[in-house]
Amino acid sequence: MRLDTALWRAIAVYRVAALLYAAGSMAVYTDTYARPGLGWAVLAGMAVWTALAAFLYADPRRRGWPLLLTDLALTAAAVLSSRAVLTAERIAEGDPTVSVSWAAAPVIAWAVHRGWVGGASAAVVIGAAAVVERGDPGQATVNSVVLLLLVGTVVGYVVTLARRAERAYAAAVQLQAAAAERERLSRSVHDGVLQALALVSRRSTDPELAGLAAEQEGALRRLVAGPAVAVPVGEADLRPLLPSGADLHLAAPATPVLLPAATARELAAATAAAVDNARKHGGGSAWLLVEDEPDAVTVTVRDDGPGIAPGRLAQAAADGRLGVAQSIRGRVQDLGGTVEVVSAPGQGTEVELRVPR
Amino acid sequence: MSLDEPARGNPELRVVVADDHPIWRDAVERDLAAAGLVVVGVAGDGEKAVRVCRATAPDVLVCDLQMPGLTGVEVTRAVAGSTKVLVLSASGEQADVLEAVKAGATGYLVKSASAAELVDAVRRTAAGDAVFTPGLAGLVLGEYRRTAADDAAPKLTPRETEVLRLVAKGLTARQVAERLVLSHRTVENHVQNTLSKLALHNRAQLVRYAVERGLAD
Repeated sequence: MRLDTALWRAIAVYRVAALLYAAGSMAVYTDTYARPGLGWAVLAGMAVWTALAAFLYADPRRRGWPLLLTDLALTAAAVLSSRAVLTAERIAEGDPTVSVSWAAAPVIAWAVHRGWVGGASAAVVIGAAAVVERGDPGQATVNSVVLLLLVGTVVGYVVTLARRAERAYAAAVQLQAAAAERERLSRSVHDGVLQALALVSRRSTDPELAGLAAEQEGALRRLVAGPAVAVPVGEADLRPLLPSGADLHLAAPATPVLLPAATARELAAATAAAVDNARKHGGGSAWLLVEDEPDAVTVTVRDDGPGIAPGRLAQAAADGRLGVAQSIRGRVQDLGGTVEVVSAPGQGTEVELRVPR
Repeated sequence: MSLDEPARGNPELRVVVADDHPIWRDAVERDLAAAGLVVVGVAGDGEKAVRVCRATAPDVLVCDLQMPGLTGVEVTRAVAGSTKVLVLSASGEQADVLEAVKAGATGYLVKSASAAELVDAVRRTAAGDAVFTPGLAGLVLGEYRRTAADDAAPKLTPRETEVLRLVAKGLTARQVAERLVLSHRTVENHVQNTLSKLALHNRAQLVRYAVERGLAD
């Protein structure tokens, strides 16, 4: 991740800058130290860890608990070393520690790695070390502990937000690239294969070949068109779920017919069963009408069979012709809907599935 | 898949074919010429389609929906006042088909329709009939329902709804007439009314939009 690389580099830079400040601070106070030699030795140790930390944190695989804990322990030790370096009077007067602001580095590191909880925890540890170093929590110490806590929490929180934003941005870029690719593909498919398929389906004297070409043309067209409209979470557009085929004529609204996803799937399955039934009893073609009303969605399946004369529906049911319709009825009733079978002689049979919203 | 049996019309019908795919365009042109229709012009893009229509004043423009330059919908909007438009579209372009109808197209045929269906559709369009497929009926029905809550939008009469539903379920005009005990002509008129109401409303909206933006007097 590019954001993380930048963050860890920033922490390395912070360590170097804080180290320079600590060196300057030591140069000013070195005359007042009880053990100036130890002070410079601690500073040398800090310099070594600054370099080592920059190297170790650079590799994402090494950014784990061992490194984070070592970092925290070493820094806390540097803070505590002030007790040995400074004189007791100077400590009581509130002179700066040996490590000064260099001690904040692991707090930022923890915040970047573990979010605001990590940042706050590291701040508590370093803060405790500072209090122990001073002996009693004076005003200045409390101030720096609060500042550390704020730094840990705020950095951790902001980094989490930034990561989330980076992920969203990456997703958006990917989506855009996918859309552009789809556009390119769809242009070339539209200009070539689709035209050829349409021509084949139209000119072919072989009805089977013509039907196949038309079916493939439709499928390919839907594929390159892709999901044109965003569908709310948990809902689904009924239209693409419905059965298709060269012998099936679909009449539907131009806009998505939205239903709860499970309802849409069930209704589509019931429709598929009704279409199978229509294909079996009809004259070869079937029609599918989808109606999107404010209070219900209605799907009507019609075949072009001989139809059933009025008053003979009962007879047809007895013949088992409506057996499938009965099972469709069960499915739709589970959705709180109704099924109606309408037939006019010479005009085929219609099965109307109506599911309330 | 047109609504009815072939219509007998003037064999000297003048047609313009607009489609950006040369192979397809040639095929359509051949089919029309073979049936005795006169193709007075062809166009490979939207702008040219409008120019050719203005220059040749054909009876019917057979127009693809997806074209470079002006789209089929824009071409329809430009010429629908003086030329009858039959839209040819592939499946999967329902929204565009609906827009073309609102722009004034009176016929719609899928590209996979046979040569005979195409010739028949052109003849019927020229005769002033709406060339209606079940698919188009479904789209028009959906559009009226979508705008049902809008008071300014046109409404279907109960009879028109009945007719559209039957057409969408694949019944021919004759079968619809039989089922509703209406004359064949009345069914045709109902179907045509549903289209012209949409187109009229669309035109009124465009004019209102233009006036609001100060584009017209």
